[in-house]
Amino acid sequence: MRSPRSFLQALPLIGLGVFVLVALLCLLFYARLPGRLPSAADYGAVSERLKAEQRPGDVVLLFPWWTERARLYLPPEVPVVGYFGSDRDNLTAHPRIWVLGQPQLPGTGEEGFRKAFLPGRTTVGQPFQAGNLTLTLYTNGRYRPHRFVASEAYARARVYVESPDGTRRPCPFDGRAHRCQGPSHLYVAPEWHELYYEPRRCLWMHPPGGPDRLVVELDGVPSGMGLRLEGGITFENTFNRSHLSNIHMGVDDAKSGERLLDVVVPQGVPGVQKAERSLPPGEPRTVKIWSQATNPELRHLCLDVVALGAPGEGA
Amino acid sequence: MGGRPATREERLIAVGLWALAFIAFLLVERAVGFVRDEGIYFTAAESYAGWFRRLFTQPMTALKDAAIVGAWDVNHEHPALMKELFGLSHLLFHQTLGWLRPATAFRLPALAMAALVPALTFLLGSAVFGRAAGLFAALSFLLVPRHLFNAELACFDMPVAAMWLLVVYTFWRAMESRRWGLVCGVAFGLAICTKHNALFLPFVLVPFALWRAWQESKAVPAARDGAWRFVGLFAAVTVLYLLLFVALGPAGFQRKFILLSPHTLLFVGLAVGTFWVLRELYRVHEPTARALLPVATMAVLGPILFYLHWPYLWHHPVERVAWYLTFHARHDHYAWFYLGDLMRSPPFPLGYVVMKTALTVPTSLFVPMVLGWLTVVGRALLSLPPRTREWVRRPSITELLVGVNAVASIAIISHPRVPHFGGVKHWLPSMPFLGILAGMAVVSGCAALVEQLRARRPTLPFAAVAVPVFALLMAPALLGLVRVWPYGTAFYSELAGGVPGAASLGMQRQFWSSHVTGVLPWINEHAKPHARVYLHEVTGYSFQHYQDNGMLRRDLQAAWSPSDADIVAYQYHQEFREHELNVWQAFGTRTPATGLYLDETPQIVVYQRP
Repeated sequence: MRSPRSFLQALPLIGLGVFVLVALLCLLFYARLPGRLPSAADYGAVSERLKAEQRPGDVVLLFPWWTERARLYLPPEVPVVGYFGSDRDNLTAHPRIWVLGQPQLPGTGEEGFRKAFLPGRTTVGQPFQAGNLTLTLYTNGRYRPHRFVASEAYARARVYVESPDGTRRPCPFDGRAHRCQGPSHLYVAPEWHELYYEPRRCLWMHPPGGPDRLVVELDGVPSGMGLRLEGGITFENTFNRSHLSNIHMGVDDAKSGERLLDVVVPQGVPGVQKAERSLPPGEPRTVKIWSQATNPELRHLCLDVVALGAPGEGA
Repeated sequence: MGGRPATREERLIAVGLWALAFIAFLLVERAVGFVRDEGIYFTAAESYAGWFRRLFTQPMTALKDAAIVGAWDVNHEHPALMKELFGLSHLLFHQTLGWLRPATAFRLPALAMAALVPALTFLLGSAVFGRAAGLFAALSFLLVPRHLFNAELACFDMPVAAMWLLVVYTFWRAMESRRWGLVCGVAFGLAICTKHNALFLPFVLVPFALWRAWQESKAVPAARDGAWRFVGLFAAVTVLYLLLFVALGPAGFQRKFILLSPHTLLFVGLAVGTFWVLRELYRVHEPTARALLPVATMAVLGPILFYLHWPYLWHHPVERVAWYLTFHARHDHYAWFYLGDLMRSPPFPLGYVVMKTALTVPTSLFVPMVLGWLTVVGRALLSLPPRTREWVRRPSITELLVGVNAVASIAIISHPRVPHFGGVKHWLPSMPFLGILAGMAVVSGCAALVEQLRARRPTLPFAAVAVPVFALLMAPALLGLVRVWPYGTAFYSELAGGVPGAASLGMQRQFWSSHVTGVLPWINEHAKPHARVYLHEVTGYSFQHYQDNGMLRRDLQAAWSPSDADIVAYQYHQEFREHELNVWQAFGTRTPATGLYLDETPQIVVYQRP
């Protein structure tokens, strides 16, 4: 057996061997890297394929999530989803998902992606290969038909600030937004906002502060299906503001006054807060979607209310 | 530990390295965009240079506090040395001689300072571990993409890395020469005039000085007494300052620190007392005195130079220094994406700095750094127990000095409460020392191989092994550098999987807005006349500087939000995703017009109003 001393004497030579090996591996990395990247022509081929085969309601999901260069090339009418965490996105509004993958890129973690993405999804046909781009079509088993979306119906809403005694101060529609009296952020309109990295088009509903509620009243919400409320504080406004109060958002039946959904958006908790319940069959309802927070500062709330069909229905 | 003078050959190589680095920096400087900090530093530099002009034309007015504040108030959160040099260089090379474009003239002193790093690295590395190790350290330093990027900027991070190295080098030389003891004090003064990182240098160096004095005075009781007196003097002054602080309270301590006050008296007492103790010590035992001299010169010359270099302090030194120190002690925390976690406030992960270094230094250089450092630490540990002492050569104090400096800045920034934004720039002072240890590790391996090979070919020169090994180890770094240049903050090593691997890991790839240069040619070509352009994260100063330096069309107007803009260049940051969505909202499209993508990773995304 070699003595520790002789081992220590051999260390410089072993070290040199390690350095040379590491350097060779690094060179190999750089030699292979250009061949793992897609070209503009590859993107062009994928775009053509999508144009030819896309259907209304389709979506493109990027893998890895950050490969946003694809947006430059893909048909603008197909939504492209790619954000930190989008592997887990249920994409419930979309019956079919085109996964635009670049599994050849270093460190993509394809296994993690498959684990998050695949449950409930089934491949359709063969993947389309364009250079290093792989376009694979899936049916989305997590699809739920959206029968009603508040952010799409907002223009016909009645919007007002409501006091606890029932007094209402209307927020007239100016063609783009329902604007209330008071600070300029007191309005209701659909906007793009980030909720914990996820881009969402949702209803901007900054609560007025105090016991008053900002209310969006909408007719024609279908019964006999799921009603979901989703929302959260946008951007970085959840951080370092622990002194601010929680936000409450909810949905009431306008006629009966029944509380259908109620969600607390806790201060300091980023991301989407949600609640869902099944509505019994019956006539379409009029609902009051509302937001309320005790303090009026920086309550950057964005939410949406959706009536959802059963999973897989109409897929 | 004994310093040694550089040989003539070493000095020539060092000068050659400085020149090589300076010319290289100058040649590639134009490609590097203006980082956010540069915008304000350029403005501050011009303001300071204007004051210097006034000093010559209206000296009495210029010296009044109102005039000083008028010129020096801008960016007074940093000492002024580098900005003074930037301003004077701009005044000379752009405004007077017209030789350089404005930005290059501002950056010139920073390039000269940065070029000191390879030169000094070589001098120290060569003296401690041999010429080949010094050369490896010097050359490899330049090839680390983030080093080269930071070397191009009119900022303070690379200059303070150079100054840190200079102070350590002069400190080490002071062990053999009284003159270098004085130079060490001056270098330390200039270092703290460069950036506040240097304030930590005494904590790193003083233990070595005391250890050296202790060792030297072992056999000379009178020298040991003198060393104790020296330490006692510093301890007494420290205690008295503390007593004053406790007795007067923080506000009172600051308010009563005037020219004629116990505070000033203590400092003068320290200076005079140190001089007197050291004079006696030189008479008794010069090696002990030499060991302590740098401590004295740093303590006395440091504050004096700091005060003198910064006119802003001249009328209200204590109040304004207190503000400066408080500013950095309570610095804001900026969002920073690290391993998929958007860090916004402390505590930050303890391993952040080490991990970030591992993922941003080319792996073929990082592995020798680690092994080199572990070799010194391992030798130090194995030389402690009697059973293993014979196995290894005990590291010299100089080797330990290099080893400690290799991790000092890393350890300071690793503290979970220290701000963690800014990539690797805050611990750059550690990197030359790690490079020296890497050089040592590589050269020992080459030497071992040469020894083996000489059994067959006795005349085999060392260079026959070292040159190809050096080239092999540096080649990946060069490839990575070429691939990512000039977008230095985007670089990630092979260990991270390069830029795309780092994107999947969830790492920050830019923070300073300089990558916008990648899309300026497109904007110049496609923007309509007088179009309003929102360069996200680019300061108004930088927008102006891009126009002044011919990088952005003069007719284009700065816009400050997507809703006001015709074109938006969005900087892809994880913490700014909302800002891109604001563009979608304002422009009614989610399809970019163009962008800067490095190995597929989005850096700058450009939208044009349909």
